[in-house]
Amino acid sequence: MTTYEEFIQQNEDRDGIRFTWNVWPSSRLEAARLVVPLGCLYQPLKERPDLPPIQYDPVLCTRNACRAILNPLCQVDYRAKLWVCNFCFQRNPFPPQYAGITEQHQPAELIPMFSTLEYTITRAQCLPPIFLLVVDTCVDEEELGALKDSLQMSLSLLPPNALIGLITFGKMVQVHELGSEGCSKSYVFRGTKDLTSKQIQDMLGIGKFASPQQAPQQQGPPQARGPGGQPLPPANRFLQPVHKCDMSLTDLLGELQRDPWPVAQGKRPLRSTGVALSIAVGLLECAYPNTGARVMLFVGGPCSQGPGQVVNDDLRQPIRSHHDIHKDNAKYMKKAIKHYEALANRAAANGHAVDIYSCALDQTGLLEMKQCCNATGGHMVMGDSFNSSLFKQTFQRVFARDQKGEFKMAFNGTLEVKASRELKISGAIGPCVSLGTKGPSVSDTEIGLGGSCQWKFCTFNPNTSVALFFEVVNQHAAPIPQGGRGCVQFITQYQHSSGQRRVRVTTVARNWADATANLHHISAGFDQEAAAVLMARTVVFRAETDDGPDVLRWVDRMLIRLCQKFGEYNKDDPNSFRLAENFSLYPQFMYHLRRSQFLQVFNNSPDETSFYRHMLMREDLTQSLIMIQPILYSYSFNGPPEPVLLDTSSIQPDRILLMDTFFQILIFHGETIAQWRQLRYQEMPEYENFRQLLQAPVDDAQEILQTRFPMPRYIDTEQGGSQARFLLSKVNPSQTHNSMYAYGTEGGAPVLTDDVSLQVFMEHLKKLAVSSTA
Amino acid sequence: NLSVTRQGFNKLWGLEYYDLLQTRNILPPDRVEAPKVKLHQEFLDNVNCSPDIFRCTLTKIPESNSLLQKSRLPLGILIHPFKDLNHLPVIQCSTIVRCRVCRTYIHPFVYFVDHKHWKCNLCFRVNELPEEFQYDPVSKTYGDPTRRPEVKSSTIEFIAPSEYMLRPPQPAVYLFVLDVSQLAVESGYLQIFCDVLLDELDRLPGDGRTQIGFITFDSNVHFYNLAEGLSQPQQMIVLDTDDVFLPCPDNLLVNLAESRELVRDLLQQLPQKFQTSYDNHSALGAALQAAYKLMAPTGGRISVFQSSLPTTGPGSLVAREDPNQRSGKDAPHLNPATDFYKLLALDCSGQQVAVDLFLLNSQYCDLATTSGVSRFSGGCIYHFPLFKASNVLQAESFERVLRRYFSRKIGFEAVMRIRCSRGLAIHTFHGNFFVRSTDLLSLPNVNPDAGFGMQVSIEESLSEVQNVCFQAALLYTTSKGERRIRVHTLCLPVATTLPDILNAADQQCIVGLLAKMAVDRSHQSSLSDARDAFINVAIDVLSAYRVVQPSGPSGALLAPHNLRLLPLYILALLKYVAFRTGQSTRLDDRLYAMCQMKTLPLAFLIQTIYPDLYPVHCLEEQLTTLEDGTLIPQPPRLHLTAEKLDHRGAFLLDTGDHMLMYVGRSVSPEFCTDVLGVAGFNSIPEEMYELPVLESVKSENIRNFINRLQAERPQCATLEIIRDDSPRRVKFTERLIEDRTESALSYYEFLQHLKANVK
Ligand SMILES: [Zn+2]
Ligand SMILES: [Zn+2]
Repeated sequence: MTTYEEFIQQNEDRDGIRFTWNVWPSSRLEAARLVVPLGCLYQPLKERPDLPPIQYDPVLCTRNACRAILNPLCQVDYRAKLWVCNFCFQRNPFPPQYAGITEQHQPAELIPMFSTLEYTITRAQCLPPIFLLVVDTCVDEEELGALKDSLQMSLSLLPPNALIGLITFGKMVQVHELGSEGCSKSYVFRGTKDLTSKQIQDMLGIGKFASPQQAPQQQGPPQARGPGGQPLPPANRFLQPVHKCDMSLTDLLGELQRDPWPVAQGKRPLRSTGVALSIAVGLLECAYPNTGARVMLFVGGPCSQGPGQVVNDDLRQPIRSHHDIHKDNAKYMKKAIKHYEALANRAAANGHAVDIYSCALDQTGLLEMKQCCNATGGHMVMGDSFNSSLFKQTFQRVFARDQKGEFKMAFNGTLEVKASRELKISGAIGPCVSLGTKGPSVSDTEIGLGGSCQWKFCTFNPNTSVALFFEVVNQHAAPIPQGGRGCVQFITQYQHSSGQRRVRVTTVARNWADATANLHHISAGFDQEAAAVLMARTVVFRAETDDGPDVLRWVDRMLIRLCQKFGEYNKDDPNSFRLAENFSLYPQFMYHLRRSQFLQVFNNSPDETSFYRHMLMREDLTQSLIMIQPILYSYSFNGPPEPVLLDTSSIQPDRILLMDTFFQILIFHGETIAQWRQLRYQEMPEYENFRQLLQAPVDDAQEILQTRFPMPRYIDTEQGGSQARFLLSKVNPSQTHNSMYAYGTEGGAPVLTDDVSLQVFMEHLKKLAVSSTA
Repeated sequence: NLSVTRQGFNKLWGLEYYDLLQTRNILPPDRVEAPKVKLHQEFLDNVNCSPDIFRCTLTKIPESNSLLQKSRLPLGILIHPFKDLNHLPVIQCSTIVRCRVCRTYIHPFVYFVDHKHWKCNLCFRVNELPEEFQYDPVSKTYGDPTRRPEVKSSTIEFIAPSEYMLRPPQPAVYLFVLDVSQLAVESGYLQIFCDVLLDELDRLPGDGRTQIGFITFDSNVHFYNLAEGLSQPQQMIVLDTDDVFLPCPDNLLVNLAESRELVRDLLQQLPQKFQTSYDNHSALGAALQAAYKLMAPTGGRISVFQSSLPTTGPGSLVAREDPNQRSGKDAPHLNPATDFYKLLALDCSGQQVAVDLFLLNSQYCDLATTSGVSRFSGGCIYHFPLFKASNVLQAESFERVLRRYFSRKIGFEAVMRIRCSRGLAIHTFHGNFFVRSTDLLSLPNVNPDAGFGMQVSIEESLSEVQNVCFQAALLYTTSKGERRIRVHTLCLPVATTLPDILNAADQQCIVGLLAKMAVDRSHQSSLSDARDAFINVAIDVLSAYRVVQPSGPSGALLAPHNLRLLPLYILALLKYVAFRTGQSTRLDDRLYAMCQMKTLPLAFLIQTIYPDLYPVHCLEEQLTTLEDGTLIPQPPRLHLTAEKLDHRGAFLLDTGDHMLMYVGRSVSPEFCTDVLGVAGFNSIPEEMYELPVLESVKSENIRNFINRLQAERPQCATLEIIRDDSPRRVKFTERLIEDRTESALSYYEFLQHLKANVK
């Protein structure tokens, strides 16, 4: 018998899935009482190099309303060559090519270890991925030079058949035609005026005048063909295969100049990000609808004119802060958000992703633009300079490849969720949009992006995870459903970077239990890590629209209710309060979550907040937990490196600490260590072990820096150093003198005040949990 | 016998007259000379302004308006102010001597009261002479002011001191705006344009500051960044033609010296660039707006090449011409459909920008509307109807025009003011310009091929003065950035009797002015009104002369020597493309012909309406003159009638920009072999556009003759040899305007019509 811990790990490894509850309550009422909703964190593209290549189409349940895919949980009648759908119980005949199956000779999709399987649809049209670069030229020479280098470098990282395009912008927006013979050619638009789809069509040659095909007396050049021999739409003037245009594009990028329009003293350059992005989205929309594509937007400052403007060109007026937003003093914000949201929706509807690479010392408007990345799965990268290794490394990692040498990124995906009839799907929270596909399994109660059983992932990679929420619809007192297990199937169709159409299928089942009789069965299956991440996503999703204090109150209320439900205690006796081991870390996660930059925004700019939240909504469980509760390692002469409490008590003079907050990698040298380092003991042969001690966290940090996306900020500091504040802001302030603490009793709801130590927080939590009045 | 004597006297006094009905050969064998202005002072007669530059319809000015009315002649002046000149006195002095009241420049016809004073003969103010004026810059000595070039020449140029500049003189700036729509591409003009400009690039007038730029357009507007240091020109396309803008702040107009290689590169690429374009729309208006924005800061010349009707964006037009009405009695749609082009021209004029228009169309382009952009900005217009680069003759003609156009002199940010003696008033101006104030013409560019006309009225009695003066002063900036003033002064005697006036008329000048007035009338009233007016002038003038010379035989139609060609020229005008009816005439062709009437310098105007016809099969028998050691035959000019032709002969018709050699079917075999280099008539190729250089007297004679004709014009005419049996012979025969056609009278019938109406 495996433990739940092992079971959860196995499931994650095999299927990329973590449920909040691994035993499901069999009634709606009991499910509601669990406080933490039934849901899961699912990685649709989890790396599975061990999967067999399946080159045929999946077999579908023949019931039209079902169309579930044959999976190992299906009952099979080998003699009658029938299978029973585990979702609708339809008996389906196997297709003729399955005539040879026997119990000894099973296709992969029936073998239990392949509860996750990937099909390659070989007959589907192959289209290479499309990359549309959208480049801000209102930056200084050094920045532009560095960016040009990175862009030129990226050409070598693209598959030769990938299509690439270039849009540059400053005061005007220029769409560059690639591969034209002779002098370079670009279409120029005012940055103050949005482009109509008619104008885009004109540009593409669909509109005003006849195309060569319609002028039969003219002998035009033979029409360009796609890699599969299919005719390409006329946009191929702007989107050319890399192998055909990399030389000319390299030259074009090489000759790219800073925006030539003069900028007066005391003014910001006029930057037309909003229109540039609109053109990029419009171009792809017209030319390659429903085809995998990435718009890669590089910005070095805020949009200062036209649609999507976030600030004006007067340098005396700074870009909005959280305080401005709070006081409803952010003049351009709402209109800009509306502009970018509309673009995000258009891009998402066509399967096109938008990445934003923002490198500037000040904000660039990520707050306003965030939906472009969040809805399309595109990256949001935030750095100080295009000339930083943070940007350069991160940008390279966008093009990361797997063991087969193929892009890890996938395109234009759709995730469909099928569930047993006792379950309905409430929604999803992740880097996707709801496709609004109604069906019998779609719940009326929405959590996150609901009202659908399908979601669009315009781009995603193995780390991408989505939180999915379910509602149990079985009525109270109804018997445990047929089969004793509930099933969920995840069907992810996507465009592989090779151009192949692929379908990833994951089918899982969990036992039903009667919560009234057997709550302990259910509580034993609680996955506190998954729960913490799902709650974090839910909270941050709410925080995007709700006011800060309300959100915090909700977090507290949910935590207290969970403790009330699953703690063991005597009424009104806080000291009697106990939590089972698989719940024990959960309050701590919540403690750190409510102190985190995700919810405490006033120390950050709105752009930073948007960036942090963006990452939390997409990373896998492990990375998300690091974001919620950073991890701290200690290095000392007393033994090998060890994880230590994220607590001030961990700061010791003879220790080096390595903190990973996901966004930052920080090495902190204790007082004594810092002194020794200053005296350069590490350079003396007799203190070789000290040198090694200093080196150890650096090596470990390097390992993280080499792999993480986006590359974290690297901080090397010491006791008393100015950057030590990054550590101090994260650790539990157990040894401060702050024990001031009170209930907020606003609206009668219990509220925990900020910035208290974990101990105080826990004490108070216990009090509230056991209180008979709360 | 008495009459013979009398005729001799008449001839002596310029009083001969003719019975037109009896005079079959009324053309002089040589050219029609301008009548001499006789101021009866040899010095003044010698220094008066050349009639090639400045002419008046009357070489004697009536002393009163009533006398003028009795003559029934129009009073006006024609001027060709920037004509290429071989000997132009240019002087630089610290003070330019001008009348303090009317600002007239000192000229040869002023009266020197004493060594220190001169009397202005326009306003009669006595002015002081500056000390410096005693100094003769030629001999470098002090002395008589009459030795000064200002007093010795009626045409003179001053280098202007700084007070004549409102801003530093602009550099030469040339912007080429090129139609690349489907029709333009099909016409093939772009290759010729690029080839010729490449060839002439180093001859564009200018200096180290010269700037150049290019815009192309179809349904979009394309700009070219030619920044020094780029490896290739960069094309930038603006789609938003409703709200066109400049895609970048600089480098669209570049210093020619710095970006010469990029310009060459662009010119080499351009023709191919649009070969596969199928865009059949034209955003001409937007392209012009963009050009204006580009040029406004400096001023300069915009050269527009148009092949299609503008159909998109601002200034777009619809085809108004009804082909069924091409031969109707009246021509509708002579006026613009929109004032867009005129308003744009006025904007341009305000910023010292002129727009020249080259129309190379195969379909209706509404020149009536688009020509406004040139007419009001001081530009010029060229028309190549049904242009196809594959047509050798058209290609050659276009190339020649371009070569002249690119390399000819140009004046920038110019103004021209015409002053005249007190008692006279200038009231209506003809030509391409904008009248900024009553007598000031704004000419953003002035070119050496542009002519102007002005109508003059007599407001006060001139009986107190012996002569009157007209002075034209053209202030302009040379292509090398020098501010200059070119001054022409014409002095005319005042006459008191009607015979004097009629006998001193200048028939060519009158025809030139009438043609301009008829264009205005066609626009303001109707084409048929304009035609009636022509006929009425002839009747009125001949009626007036009948009062003067009642003694002729009955049944005669008498005309004085100086007006004997007036009916012939008027018939030519009635049959000219601009004014003809009853014969299919495309609207754009008519409009262009009207534009020509407004701007052609007089000599070319006359040649255009009444081409020169010479027999060229027997040049050996003709008088020859010796020029620079070359024998040049001088065949007589022939009337434009089939009567003068002979099927054994060959005839050269010279229309100014085009020569047609018509070869009769029985032409001698020697002519074929010696001149055309072919065995016989039947071997003359269907298309033949030059004469072979053959070592025969015949060949040499004819080539010398043609070369002499060519030497008289700013750009060589094209030559076309047409066989009598060629389908193209109509090109020749339609110019035989003295013959009767289905819709028009013969010259003799026309005279009879006049006779019937002369009272
Ligand atoms: Zn089914
Ligand atoms: Zn005066």
